[in-house]
Amino acid sequence: MSTASVTGPRTRRDLLERPLKVVFPLWVIGSVLLVAFPLYLVFLVSFAPGSALFGDTPKLFFTDFTLRWWQRVIEGGDLVPPLIKSLTVASITTLLAIVIAAPAAYVIARLRPSLRYTIVIGLLVTRMFPEFAIGISVATRFAGWGLVDTYLGLILAHLIGTLPFIAWILVGTFETVPIELEEAAQLDGASRMATLLRVVFPIAAGGIAVASLFVWLYSWNEFLYARLLITNQNTLPLQVFQAIDRGSTQTMATVAAVLTLPILLVVYFLQRHLRPGALTGAVKG
Amino acid sequence: MATLEQTVRVPAKSPVATWVRRYRFELALVLPLVTYVLVLTVAPIIDTFRLSFTSADGGLGLQNYRAMFGSEVFRTAVVNTLIVALLSLVLEIGVGLTVALALNVPFRGRGFVRTVTLVPIGVPTIVSGAVMLLIFARSGYLNSLLAGVANLVSLLPGIDWTFRPIGLTVAGGWRTLLTVAVADMWKVLPVMILIFLAGLQSIPEELYEAADVDGATRWQRFRRVVLPLLIPFITIAVILRAIDAFRIYELALVLSGRVEPVLGTYIGTVYLPPTSDQYTAAAGSIVLFAMIMVFIVLYLRFVAARGEIRS
Repeated sequence: MSTASVTGPRTRRDLLERPLKVVFPLWVIGSVLLVAFPLYLVFLVSFAPGSALFGDTPKLFFTDFTLRWWQRVIEGGDLVPPLIKSLTVASITTLLAIVIAAPAAYVIARLRPSLRYTIVIGLLVTRMFPEFAIGISVATRFAGWGLVDTYLGLILAHLIGTLPFIAWILVGTFETVPIELEEAAQLDGASRMATLLRVVFPIAAGGIAVASLFVWLYSWNEFLYARLLITNQNTLPLQVFQAIDRGSTQTMATVAAVLTLPILLVVYFLQRHLRPGALTGAVKG
Repeated sequence: MATLEQTVRVPAKSPVATWVRRYRFELALVLPLVTYVLVLTVAPIIDTFRLSFTSADGGLGLQNYRAMFGSEVFRTAVVNTLIVALLSLVLEIGVGLTVALALNVPFRGRGFVRTVTLVPIGVPTIVSGAVMLLIFARSGYLNSLLAGVANLVSLLPGIDWTFRPIGLTVAGGWRTLLTVAVADMWKVLPVMILIFLAGLQSIPEELYEAADVDGATRWQRFRRVVLPLLIPFITIAVILRAIDAFRIYELALVLSGRVEPVLGTYIGTVYLPPTSDQYTAAAGSIVLFAMIMVFIVLYLRFVAARGEIRS
């Protein structure tokens, strides 16, 4: 009786109820297609037969499968050298970013709250500047220091974009490490450095791992500094751009597939760190 | 020698030196980061400001800005940047929210669907550009699809639709800018879904029940209960995205290329050879920075503040 009185007036007035039921499955399928279909196209074009002419795009569904384009891109030297360069730069950038940002983030996390937030916000404000506003002057400096076309130059440039961001993440991580543990370690006679290395960092390892991944992905995807600082050996993102510029659809799709694959794998295995709930605290805080 | 010793010893007793000695461990830990940020972020930003007011012959003044605002390409780039940024923001918030609303309803296989929509979260910008080129170029999949539809329709008696393929990326005007906005939207869609799902999950179940008990329709429930509570999350999304939407570079370079410049591509073209004009490029990036700041201030002042009062 009571349910009837609740649902009764609603079904009468709610014109959306019935159409929503019908549309809902389409709504979900549409959402999935919207996100996934464009990615499918990249892999399709890199594996499907067709001519190398720009604009000769293969049929929408796999009718035939070929490794021709992969073979051609690998043999033409369009894939392996940029892949090695991107891997090297991203890995060294990640290592350096942690070495530079983690100790500093620990100290910032132990400051009194008002000072802590001022510093963190200060760091994040640097991210509001257009990359060009920093990049132009950095590229000009690096040219003067002989850092154009060097691994070091590109790594230093990638650190600019990542340090403030991961320092921010790591401050959050270190805040959760109880200070009592450090005090206990020091009572037991550990030096401050030993406390940091043997007690604090191991507890924060999860946060440091997530921060490392962000850095690695940033460097792996980075385009602007690479374009400003590289004239000889491309990184993978630059290689995709070069393929677009030269109008070779299959090379573009193949290199793009190589660029995308590690990211899909990494995210798939790290989903649990990306739950919506994890963001709620950050947004409300 | 004696004076030198003195100058060394005197500061050792000063409060600053005591402070340095007391916190030497902490200072050593922050020093690398502080040095890095000062040398390779703060100094370059100051440098860019200075460069933007310097002319090629070394004089100071507004000549870069004056020359830039006199240029037709620059003015087009400013307008295009605004159009792309607004289009992207509207698309991103609209589509992101639409998808998140569907994924917030319990249904079988929801976990799998959420995973699929989340996994492309780190897709490189340049890949997004490449993908949209596959779709929107003259020979792209959009045209094949439209041609297919045209053929089907033409099978009906009395209708003759001859389809002419459109090269959206080279057509110029708002259609070309729309491809850039769509590429940006697609790239950040997983992030938007994640933010809005977080927002939707923060709304307590009781509020939905209360709305139902009061006889609210689905639309009323969304408009009066869900949307006001999502305002903080929309604000976060807008601010996060606005910064990037104004700075858009790779996507415009790939998709709108030479037909429709945005500020990012304008600055890039001016800075890179053959022009190699760092002064105008610096002035351009200061204008871009100003646009970002103005947008955020206006948004916080008028849109976000009003939304909070209403909710």
